[in-house]
Amino acid sequence: MIKRVLIANRGEIALRILRACRQLGIEAVVAYSEADRESRAVLVADEAICIGPADAKRSYLSAPAVISAALATGCDAIHPGYGFLSENAAFAEAAAAHGLTFIGPSAEVLERFESKAGVRALLAKHGLPTIPGSDGVVADETAAAKAAAKIGYPVILKASAGGGGRGMRVIQNADDLAQLFSLCTQEAQAAFGDGSLYLEKYLVDTHHVEVQIAVDKAGTALHFGERDCSVQRRHQKLVEESPSTALTPKVREEFLARAAKAIGAAGYRNLGTLEFLVGPDGKPYFIEINCRIQVEHPVTEAVTGVDLVALQIRLAAGELMPMTQAEVERRGHAIEFRLTAEDPAQEFRPQAGEITTFRSPSGPWVRFDSHLYAGYEVPPYYDSLLAKLIVWGNTREEAIARSRAALLEVEIDGVATTRDFFLGLLETPSFLNGTATTGMLDAIGTADILAAAPKARA
Amino acid sequence: MPHNTERLGDLIDSLVPVLVERLHETGLGEIEIERDGAIVRVRAEDLNTPVASAPAPTAQRGGTPAAAAAAPSAADERRHPVRSTAVGFVKLAPDIHVGGKVAKGSLVATVDVLGVDVEVRADHGGIVAKLRCATGDPVEYGQELFLLESVGEGKL
Repeated sequence: MIKRVLIANRGEIALRILRACRQLGIEAVVAYSEADRESRAVLVADEAICIGPADAKRSYLSAPAVISAALATGCDAIHPGYGFLSENAAFAEAAAAHGLTFIGPSAEVLERFESKAGVRALLAKHGLPTIPGSDGVVADETAAAKAAAKIGYPVILKASAGGGGRGMRVIQNADDLAQLFSLCTQEAQAAFGDGSLYLEKYLVDTHHVEVQIAVDKAGTALHFGERDCSVQRRHQKLVEESPSTALTPKVREEFLARAAKAIGAAGYRNLGTLEFLVGPDGKPYFIEINCRIQVEHPVTEAVTGVDLVALQIRLAAGELMPMTQAEVERRGHAIEFRLTAEDPAQEFRPQAGEITTFRSPSGPWVRFDSHLYAGYEVPPYYDSLLAKLIVWGNTREEAIARSRAALLEVEIDGVATTRDFFLGLLETPSFLNGTATTGMLDAIGTADILAAAPKARA
Repeated sequence: MPHNTERLGDLIDSLVPVLVERLHETGLGEIEIERDGAIVRVRAEDLNTPVASAPAPTAQRGGTPAAAAAAPSAADERRHPVRSTAVGFVKLAPDIHVGGKVAKGSLVATVDVLGVDVEVRADHGGIVAKLRCATGDPVEYGQELFLLESVGEGKL
């Protein structure tokens, strides 16, 4: 039983969690940094508590500050959202030690799924195909060179403790490896506090497809379909949709069932996402797991009608899975666009500043998750996500047509945003015909996509 | 909270002379004290001639101090809020009470963050003019713990 949740995050996801709590009749307290005093989640919340200065290390990333805030406000649970402390096993353990329910997998589960290299081996054992790669972490440059030669170049070098698209580097040949191995180790050490690296075969024209799963405490594991997140820029997702255009119906159902079965058997609990690459052979290969609610979860909510954040809270509270796999019906097609404070015309340079105009789109099957309002000051300290536009249609074509209409309604002034980039993307043939792969932006170029956007009214 | 008028009268009779004397002693511009849900405030009209506005100073019935906020005055400019440096449970130093003297840089409180005491030190020297919390209270980062009033150079 959870009665009062500390929301230890910011931006749109803090609002999303607040809404789920209210819907469930659970009290919520929003934890915020000094830079977010005027954020919408803080303004909307019944109660909020300042946990530290703008510097995330002393606020959203500070386990003592977050746990202390939960105790000071009489909370019995913490929702970490995504990013920050959401997948931190030590944090989950400390929260539990103070009698707080961590809304996510337990510390023990997080620990087991912490090492990317280890999880690859674990899930391979439970029947998930993986991309050819090193056998776990590579000890040094010599071991890496040996593994790479065996797999064949190009390879991708990844930080075992990495995540969110960071800590990866494509290696084209043995010379590159010699040059970049120690640099990558240093980067991983600096970014994640752990310099361990592993490597995988680098597949060029792939779809990034992920499976939303949930597992209750008894080990009942369900999947909620897949999301295709192939439109990426430097491993950062820009657009997500469900279902994926890269899977045939036969491959899809077998793959989803296998993913749910493997993750349950491997001992995972609560909400999670299994990420795969679908190669030119049309088959998905497991790459990594995300042990948290994801930015793109609304895509799945749109096609299944399941409130994933509410489900996550209920599972963390110890409830059993409230539905069966057969009851998870997937209908139609949904697409999400991540509107960020980045200027696509200038290499997606991050923006900060006051939002002078804010007009959100609306209409049938249009969802707009955003923490913005006119007059809000976008702080320079955090992630650049401003809003998520999620649109549903009976078919992919209908969802795309509706997305165009909705994007044209979006008006955000004061900072440059990715809106026009998305309008251009919706005119780009490879996106329209569903063949866009993770290499799309390198192949087409941002300038051409922007040029394809319908001209704004003068 | 309903309040007995008679008791309020007694309270004012007993408190006001003490507070006025304290004003003279400390050189503070204003002293406020809370008893049984009532707030009694004594303010010096002029910094050189402290007087209680007779017959009764500000006496509010369970009201909040903020409700009686006045326009900035010379006294306000000499006031320095001391803020919490962490989120947790506060413990005030023994000399932190209204009228207590505080030296610049001294340890005025600690905030218990999961058993670790985080220090709060005074940025200014002065005299405690108003308490905004009590030992054991949960406090957030940046919360005003008490107000210090500076009383001229070199006094502390």
